[in-house]
Amino acid sequence: MTHYSQPLEFTGLTRWFDSALRSVMPDFWAIFIELVIVGIALLATYAVIAMILIYVERKITAFFQARIGPNRVGKYGIFQTVADVLKILIKEIIHVNKVDKFLFYAAPFFIIVASMLTFGAIPFGKGLQAVDFNIGVFYVTAVSSLGIIGVLLAGWSSNNKYSMIGAMRSGAQFVSYELSGGFALMTIVVLTGTMQLSGMVETQRYCWNLFNGHIASFVAFIIYLISGHAETNRGPFDLPEAESELTAGYHTEYSGLQFGFFYLAEYLNMFVIAAIAATVFLGGWMPIQIKGWDAFNQIMWYIPSYVWFFGKTGVLIFISLWVRWSFPRLRIDQLLNLEWKYLLPINLVNILLMVILVLSGLTLTQIF
Amino acid sequence: MEKIKQIILDAVKEAVFDDKEKLTVTVEPQKLHFLLQTLHDYAELPFDYLVYLIGMDWGEKLGVIYLLSSSKDPSQEIIIKTGTSDRENPLLYSVTDLYGTAHFNEREVYAMYGIRFINNPDMRRFLLNDDWVGFPLRKDYDADPALNPVSVESKDIIDTAPRIVETPDGKLVEETVNIFEDGDYIINIGPQHPSTHGVMHFRTSLDGEVVKKIDVHSGYIHRGIEKLSESLTYPQILHFTDRLDYLSANINRHALCICVEKAAGIEVPERAQYIRTIMDELNRIDSHLLAWSAHTNDLGATTAFIYGMREREIILDIFEKVCGGRLIINENVVGGVMFDIYPEFQKDVKAFIPYMRDKLKEYDRFFSHNVIALGRMVNVGVLKKEDAVSYAVSGPAGRASGWSCDVRKYNPYALYDKVEFKEIIRTEGDSYARYMNRLDEIEESLHIIEQLIDNIPEGDYCAKTKAIIKLPEGEYFQHVEAGKGLFGVYIESRGDKTPYRLKFRSPSMALVSVMPLICENEKISDFIGIGGSMDYVIPDIDR
Amino acid sequence: MRTFSQYISDLLKGISSLLKGLGVTWKEFWTKKVTRQYPENRDTLVISERFRAELVMPHDENNEHACTACGICQMNCPNGTIRVVSKMIETEDGKKKKVLDKYIYDLGMCTFCNLCVISCPSHAIEFSNKFENATFTRDKLVHQLNHEGSKLREKKKVVKEDKE
Repeated sequence: MTHYSQPLEFTGLTRWFDSALRSVMPDFWAIFIELVIVGIALLATYAVIAMILIYVERKITAFFQARIGPNRVGKYGIFQTVADVLKILIKEIIHVNKVDKFLFYAAPFFIIVASMLTFGAIPFGKGLQAVDFNIGVFYVTAVSSLGIIGVLLAGWSSNNKYSMIGAMRSGAQFVSYELSGGFALMTIVVLTGTMQLSGMVETQRYCWNLFNGHIASFVAFIIYLISGHAETNRGPFDLPEAESELTAGYHTEYSGLQFGFFYLAEYLNMFVIAAIAATVFLGGWMPIQIKGWDAFNQIMWYIPSYVWFFGKTGVLIFISLWVRWSFPRLRIDQLLNLEWKYLLPINLVNILLMVILVLSGLTLTQIF
Repeated sequence: MEKIKQIILDAVKEAVFDDKEKLTVTVEPQKLHFLLQTLHDYAELPFDYLVYLIGMDWGEKLGVIYLLSSSKDPSQEIIIKTGTSDRENPLLYSVTDLYGTAHFNEREVYAMYGIRFINNPDMRRFLLNDDWVGFPLRKDYDADPALNPVSVESKDIIDTAPRIVETPDGKLVEETVNIFEDGDYIINIGPQHPSTHGVMHFRTSLDGEVVKKIDVHSGYIHRGIEKLSESLTYPQILHFTDRLDYLSANINRHALCICVEKAAGIEVPERAQYIRTIMDELNRIDSHLLAWSAHTNDLGATTAFIYGMREREIILDIFEKVCGGRLIINENVVGGVMFDIYPEFQKDVKAFIPYMRDKLKEYDRFFSHNVIALGRMVNVGVLKKEDAVSYAVSGPAGRASGWSCDVRKYNPYALYDKVEFKEIIRTEGDSYARYMNRLDEIEESLHIIEQLIDNIPEGDYCAKTKAIIKLPEGEYFQHVEAGKGLFGVYIESRGDKTPYRLKFRSPSMALVSVMPLICENEKISDFIGIGGSMDYVIPDIDR
Repeated sequence: MRTFSQYISDLLKGISSLLKGLGVTWKEFWTKKVTRQYPENRDTLVISERFRAELVMPHDENNEHACTACGICQMNCPNGTIRVVSKMIETEDGKKKKVLDKYIYDLGMCTFCNLCVISCPSHAIEFSNKFENATFTRDKLVHQLNHEGSKLREKKKVVKEDKE
C-alpha cells in the first residue's frame, strides 16, 4: 500500500511525546502521565463538543423555524453557550424534599459516565483513539446502554409522577431500540468480519460499508439512525421528556449543574451515535480513497483525518436535527409498534440477507 | 311554534307564556324536568341543544333561564324560566341527565347564586373556591374584601363532592361522594402546564399511560366580568368582551355590539358591516391558525407551531394598522366600528389571501398527511354527534362530529347572508376531523373575505349614537360564530344605562366539559393532543 | 398476502409523507428569516399610526392644550385610569372659570379601550404610538399629561380638525 504524506496528523506528535517521556522516566510513570493527559484531553473535548453542539443545534433549529437563533452574545451569538454554561455552573442546585437523596444525586452521574465511556472509545482520527478494543462495537453498545439506568433512577428517585411516567417510557423505549441498534451494527460486523473499530475503518479504505453491502447495509444504516435517534431521546422519540405532556419528564425536578449533566449527556449521546454511524458505515476518519488514483488520494490525505471524521459526523448530526425539527412526537404504543412490528422484523431479515450476500460473494468489494 | 306551545301545555298545564319575540315559558321547579324531558324527546323537532343555562336573581326570586334549541334546526329557540323564592336554601332540579352541558353550568350557577340542583351528580362550585363567602351574582352580595381575604396558604385538594339526590319515594338526601377510587394514580395536569392552554387544572387518574378519569378544576383566572358588567355602561362593557376568548376578540365584541344595537334600534352603516365581517373573518383565521399551531405543538411539532405564528403575524399587523391593537383589537363599537380602514387595507388583505392559500398547501404537505401526525389524530378522541349536541359543543369541533351548527348559516348576522361559503362538516368526530375542519375553515374565510374586500361601500363607518345608551326593558339574546363555537350574549335590561344581568355564553366551557368524556381510556399523550384539537381558551371559561 | 402488501404500501406511504415533511423544512432552512431584531432596527421600525401605547395630551408651541377639564373621559373610563383635577380661577373680566389643574393618567391601569379619546368633546387627548413604556417601578407609570404651566387654548385659535 502506498504511503501518502499526511502533514497535519497528530500521529507524529504523539509518538514523539511518548518516546520523550520514556527517555526521562520509567515506563510506568510515562504511561501514567499519558493516561492522565489523555483523560483530560477527552474530558475537555467532551465539554467543547457539547458546547459547540448546543450552539449548532440552536442555530440550525432556528433556521428550520424561520428564526435566526442566538444572536446576542458575540457575533452571531457564538458565545451563547459559553454564557449558558457559566450560568448553569453558578446556579443553585435546588434541594427537593421527599426525594430519595442518594439515588437522586447519583442519577446524573450514571448518565454522564455512560456517555463519557462511550465517547472514550471513538476513533476521532488516525491515531486519535484512546482505547482500541478488539471488541469495540460490542463495548460501545454495551456501555452506552448504561445511561438508561441513570434515567430510570432519576425518574424513580424524584418522587414526581411526571418523572416517573417519563422514566418508565424511557425504559420501554431504550430496551426496544437497543435491539435494533445492536442488530444494525451486527449486520455490519457480519460484513466486515471484525468488531474492532480501527479495523472497521481500515476495511473501508476504498469502499464504505454503506456501499459495500449495498441493500443490506443501506437498510441497516437507516435503522441504525432511527434507533440511535430513539436511544438519545430526541426528535420524534422524545417521549421521556415530552415537553408538552410531561413538562420535562425524568429531569423535571433537577436544576443547576445536575440538570446540566442531563443536558450535556443528551447532546453528547447524539454526537456519539452520529460518530459510531460515521465510523461503522461511512468510513470513519478515513479520507475518500479511490483505488489507483494516487494523486487524488494524496490530495485527500492532505485533509487531516479528524476533519474527515468530524465532517461525516456533522452531516449525520444535521440529519438528526432535521428530522427532529420536522416531525411530531410519537405516542408510546406507536413507538413500540415501530420497533417491534417494523424495525425488528426488517432487521432480522436484513441480517440474514447480509449473511447471504457475504457468503455468496455479492458485496461490492467481492464483485469488483 | 304553535304546535310546540301545545306540546308544552300538554306537558305542563300551568305553564305561563310571555308575549315575547321568542317563545318564553315560565314553569314551577317541580315541573321543569318533565317539561324539558318532553321537549328533549319530541321526535319531530327534538329540543336537545341547551344553548344557555343562565342563573338569575330577579329580586323576589332566584332562578334559572334555559334557552333550548334543536340540533335539527338550531334557529328554533324556546326560553324556559323557573325559579324559587327560597333565598336561604334554594333548590331546583338538575337537567344533567338530559343535557351534558348542564353539569358545569349548574355548578357555576351554584357558585354564583347559591342555587343547588337536585340530582346533579357533583354539586361542587365551579369557578369559585368551596369556602367562598357569599354568592357574587346575587343582588344582595356583600363584596367586602374582608369576607374573602386573599389566601396565602396552600390547601390540599379534597377529592370529594357533595350532592343532593332525590330518592324514588321523593325524599332528598344529601351525601358526599368520592371522585376517584382509592389508590388511583392521580396526576395534576395544570394549573401550570405547558399544554393546558391557560390556567386550567385537570386532575387525572391514570392506569399506566391510560386516562381513567378527569376532574376539571377551573376558575384560576376568574375575573367576575359578569358581575363587573352590572355596574358599567354598555360601551364600557365592550372592552371586556375582547378579554374573554382573546383569540376571537373581534367576534365576541361584535356579538355584544349587535345585541345592544338591536335592542336600542341603532342602524349600522353598510360600510361598518363590511369592515366588521372582514375583520371577523380575519380574526377567525387568526384564531384557527393559533389553534393549528398550538395543536401541532401539543403533538410535539415545535416547528409547525412557529410556522403558524409566522402567518398569524401578518394578520396581527393588519389589525394593528386598522385599529391599533394586535390581540385586544377594540374595533367594534355600538353603531359601527371605532376606526375606518386605512388606505392600503384592501391591498394588504389581498396580498395576504394568496399567501395564506400557499401556506395552507404547505401545512398540508408538512403536517396534515404526515404518518406520525395521522397516527396521533385519526380515531383519537372520538366525539359522537349525540354527545356533541348534548354537551353543546359547537364550532369546528361540533361540525367535525357531523353537526351542522354554524350560526353564520342558520342565523346570519352582519353580511353572512350575502356571501357564499360552505359550512365545513365532517362526520368522523375525531381529532383529525377537528384539525382538518379548522384548516378548511381558513380557506372558507379567505373565500368570504375575497367576496367582500373589493366591494366595501363608501360612507359612514359608525352611526351616530346617543352619548348614553339605554336599552329598553327586556331580554336580549345574540349569538355569533366565534372561532371556537357559538358565542352568546344575554342581556336583561331594566331600562338603565347598565344591564341588570349580563351573561356571556362561552364556547370553550362546552369544549372543556366534554373532555372527561372523550378522553376516557385514551393515552395521556392523546389527552394532550385532544385538548389541542378542541382548542379551548381558558379566560373564556373563567369569565 | 394482501395484508403483506398492505404492510409494504403503508410503510412506503408513511416514508413518503415523512420525506415531504422534510422537504418543507429543508426549503425553510434556506428561506430568508422573519425575525425582526428589535433594538437594532429602531430606526427603521414602523409602528402603525393608530397603535395605542399611551395616552398623551398634545400641547402646541404656546404650551396650550385643549382640555376643558369637563371630566367626560374620567366618567367613560371603565376602570378609573384617568383622574381629572380641576381648579377654579378668576378670569380677567372677573368671571369664575373651571380649568384643568392636573390630568393624571395611570398607564398601569389602562386597558387601551380608546373610550376616553372618542368621547372627548374637544379632542384634547389622543393615543401615541410610543410603545417603550417599561419602567422599574409602578408609580412611574402614573403620568401627568398636562405640562407645567400649560393652559387652555383660546376658542378662536382652535383649528377645526376633520373628524378622523
